[in-house]
Amino acid sequence: MNRRSMLKYDYMNAGERFADAFSLPKDMVVNATLIHMIGKSDVFVENFKGIISYTCHEVLIKGYGVKFCVCGEGLLIEHYCNDDMKISGQISEVRVIRET
Amino acid sequence: MQNNYMRYIKGCLIIRLGGDYLERFFNICRQHDIYLWNIRRVDEVCTCEVYAADFRRLVPFLKKTGTRAKIIKKTGLPFYLPFFKKRIIFFAGVIACLAMLNHATGYVWAIEYVGNLQISDDELTDFLKQEDIRYGVKKSDINCDEKEKRLRERFANVTWTSIYFEGTKLYVEIKENEKTEPVVTAVRGTDIVADESGVITSIVTRNGVPMVKAGDSVEPGDVLVSGGVPIYNEEQEVTGYHIYDADADISIRTLLEYSAIQKKAYPVIYYTGNDICVGFLEAFGRHIDAMPVYDWFGGGKNFPYEVVTEKKQLILLDNIYLPIYYGKISKKEYYIRYMTYTDKEMETLLSDGFEKFISGLEEKGVQIVEKNVKIEKNSDGMEIIGALLVIKPTGEASSTNLHN
Repeated sequence: MNRRSMLKYDYMNAGERFADAFSLPKDMVVNATLIHMIGKSDVFVENFKGIISYTCHEVLIKGYGVKFCVCGEGLLIEHYCNDDMKISGQISEVRVIRET
Repeated sequence: MQNNYMRYIKGCLIIRLGGDYLERFFNICRQHDIYLWNIRRVDEVCTCEVYAADFRRLVPFLKKTGTRAKIIKKTGLPFYLPFFKKRIIFFAGVIACLAMLNHATGYVWAIEYVGNLQISDDELTDFLKQEDIRYGVKKSDINCDEKEKRLRERFANVTWTSIYFEGTKLYVEIKENEKTEPVVTAVRGTDIVADESGVITSIVTRNGVPMVKAGDSVEPGDVLVSGGVPIYNEEQEVTGYHIYDADADISIRTLLEYSAIQKKAYPVIYYTGNDICVGFLEAFGRHIDAMPVYDWFGGGKNFPYEVVTEKKQLILLDNIYLPIYYGKISKKEYYIRYMTYTDKEMETLLSDGFEKFISGLEEKGVQIVEKNVKIEKNSDGMEIIGALLVIKPTGEASSTNLHN
């Protein structure tokens, strides 16, 4: 194991290491939130708990053990259902906020 | 995610939301499988869209989160149902019209022939009649491939055929063989006989035995050229005949009589200006027009009418010919007044007629040798009587009495 791999494993938990070792999808194994971004105007979010706050400049999404903040201008939730949600607008930033 | 068509069919509401816990409201809706979309927040105003059927389910969650909701707009098919319900007759009419149109387009309402030069339209029409193809026959009953084959069999000079439909119009497209072989007719055995009396001026025989010579007088029925060429034996006796179709150019000098009458009185039509123009409609053999209404109101029964009918067929999209005809009937009221010609006018008319007769003869190759005509006046008008001495082609074919 080289130094770079060792650094990677320092911040991964056991579940993530397991998924990594067996090449399994992490969203299935450790309930990780899945975010797809299409260009600079659309974001698909899957496997999340809910919305914490929503304004036209910022959408704060609660994931499992982490929060995601989608920032931009004129943000619109195009659809919001049990499986996924789609945010569209002029997206400037997608930030991860780790829960300590 | 559901598409806009599904949203339109199910019906959706645009609602305005207000309150402090909108995010909580959205999360509760999500947990209860209530689908929200187009959630938009501008300043403090938040709007979203929801299915009309789900709106009632929102009420407890609105109360729970202290959210206020107001319907801004209703869209979708369920909201148009009352509109449709009120106008059920209209929509039933539209549907019935479409159904009738669909039914009517299953039949042939027009036939067109393309590419026929030697074969006339009438011949093709007769052929189609024999094949039970006429106006109003079902399109599905016509086997185009089979009819094409029959058409080629029926007309030998047709090299290519195509029978196809465009809308309700049946096209019969053919190509004819331009290089036709010379017609070989069987020898029937004919003489040339005189069809009028006179003196033969010239005779050039191509086929057969001439029976007369220039200068001979002939009567109608006399044989001019015989189709039987005699066969002689060594004793110069006729043992039989070779039978041909006699062919010759024969000219005869004969008298041609001419007479014409010009009556003094002649009718002139005067239009009263009392014209009627009404529309009519003809569908499935039934004729409807407004003329009886006009007659019922007693519109002009004193004079006769000149009737002109303009008839057009209803065509949809250039190719769908329907069995519906429309047009207008124009009736022009007129009366006849008898006028009289002057003597000079009658003379001019008779002379013109005679000149036309002469020019007609000259076109036919008749030479005028002598003219002797006179105009006589009688109680009714004038009469032109005369006789022309002419040299003209003569002779008509007649079956020969001779045998081999």
